[in-house]
Amino acid sequence: MTRRYTPWALLVVALALAAVYLFPLYWMYVTSLKSGSEIFANPPTFWPTTPNPDIYGQVWSRRTMSTFLWNSVIIASGVTAITVILGTGCAYVLARYRSAWIDVGLFAVLMLQVLPASVMITPLFVGFNQIGLLNYPRLAVILAAAAKSMPFFVVLVRATFMSVPRELEEAALVDGNSRVGAFFLIVLPLARNGILVCAILTFMGSFGEYIYSKSIIQSPALQPASVGLSGFLGPNSSDWNSIMAYSAIYVTPILAIFVILQRRIVSGLTSGALK
Amino acid sequence: MAKFFNSLRDGVGFDLILVGAAMLFLLALAGLPLVYNVLMSFQQVDMFTLGQLIRPFAGFTNYAAVVAQPEFWLVTRNTLIFVVGSMTGQFVLGFALALFFAQKFPGAATIRGLFLVSWVMPGLVVGAIWSWILAGDFGVLNSVLRGLGIIQSNIFWKSDPSFSIWAVIIANIWLGLAFNMLLLSVGLAAIPRDLYEAAELDGANAWQRFWTITLPMMRSTIGAVLSLGLIGTLQQFDLFPALTEGGPANTSNVAGYWSWQLSFQLYDFAKGATVSVMMFVLVLFASILYVRSTRHEVRG
Repeated sequence: MTRRYTPWALLVVALALAAVYLFPLYWMYVTSLKSGSEIFANPPTFWPTTPNPDIYGQVWSRRTMSTFLWNSVIIASGVTAITVILGTGCAYVLARYRSAWIDVGLFAVLMLQVLPASVMITPLFVGFNQIGLLNYPRLAVILAAAAKSMPFFVVLVRATFMSVPRELEEAALVDGNSRVGAFFLIVLPLARNGILVCAILTFMGSFGEYIYSKSIIQSPALQPASVGLSGFLGPNSSDWNSIMAYSAIYVTPILAIFVILQRRIVSGLTSGALK
Repeated sequence: MAKFFNSLRDGVGFDLILVGAAMLFLLALAGLPLVYNVLMSFQQVDMFTLGQLIRPFAGFTNYAAVVAQPEFWLVTRNTLIFVVGSMTGQFVLGFALALFFAQKFPGAATIRGLFLVSWVMPGLVVGAIWSWILAGDFGVLNSVLRGLGIIQSNIFWKSDPSFSIWAVIIANIWLGLAFNMLLLSVGLAAIPRDLYEAAELDGANAWQRFWTITLPMMRSTIGAVLSLGLIGTLQQFDLFPALTEGGPANTSNVAGYWSWQLSFQLYDFAKGATVSVMMFVLVLFASILYVRSTRHEVRG
């Protein structure tokens, strides 16, 4: 008899674990809705007594969030475009063949995946300065961040290509297609979903990019939302409901995309991340 | 000439273009800077020579100067605490959750997937949220811990020198835990069910099954997850500016953030490059581990 109830007991435990784990997110939304005095109530209230969403409008205009978010979108789109265009072909070739050269290529990609941005930022900044790229700071950030995100993209998309049956491509070649034709007409459409998920992951990742933007972009008009957030953050910050409202506006789109595509994202990651 | 274009369209040239374009890009924006970084750590770099390629050779003076900095050993110690603390927390909790979600119950996969939102969120936002949760006077964590009777007086997580590094570690564990859990779940799912059934028939209890089947079967997964955890922890940057800015008095500073501070707050690019070269040696070690643990899968 007990066996019949075990799954449901496990479900309850799982929900409790998820609730504890996701509490920080809940706390962000709740804090953003609290009034200035309620924030500093002791003990804290776990449900806002007088929820006040006006703060969202205030933070939006006072912190010029439209500019910041627009810059984030530009940078993330640029990074995603470069990563997808260059990374897809690379992943395809690395998935198709087995040879010593392919191993060398894979090794290089894996090694580049592990470079921390804080190791790369100093030489990139000095190098960009020398070739004058710092005059186009957003482009400089896009190039730097694309180099950072491409290795992970290649590793994930390579796993997608490996699951496309080779025979289909060979059949297309026998039918008189060129390699280019077989790639664009057969292989790419079959791998489309996997590539799309990885592209969205790349976009989400670079939407939160911080270190390159903070170091390279000086003008507030060109900075992304992460740098805008850092402007009123720090050990002595106290404007918590504004900070949480800003954070909420910033992450809600990402969370929405993630929840909608959750299944695909998780399966995309699980198939590729360990390979 | 026609043969050349034909190869581009229908032969090995096509592959070379696809792989070459990406490799050239990565070489220019990751390979070259890396070499340049090592070069810079042996040069005198200041605001006047920033725009030049040829600069006075400095030998090991940058390295000597970095080691002689009063905070050098503190930062080294913090880096080790940060790496070991974060990895242990992420791995142990991640493994426990992966084992739990390997049970069969309705909604297991979906709920497990929801955990991953921590991983897709911008690091700076994660830092901001934890900064508020860990706040000394009005933070919710102190309030909960006091309510449970675990602590008597508030802990000033971010400003108490003995806790500041742990504030960043807690946030980092939350950030990386779900990714660890997901990868370990993949490893768990790959273990054949009948091994467990056979062991159960032979009278092995759950603990014995874990030690004799689960752990050995997951050796390569665990190796990959641990080295990815090491790499991810060394890459962590965003939490530092959001939580403590390395303070108070560098008690929560680590190599990655220190290197950035030297370059971009003190404009001492030579020292910044030197610290990051030192850190890169650590990363190299981690990546050798990673490549070794995934080597047999690379060819798969």
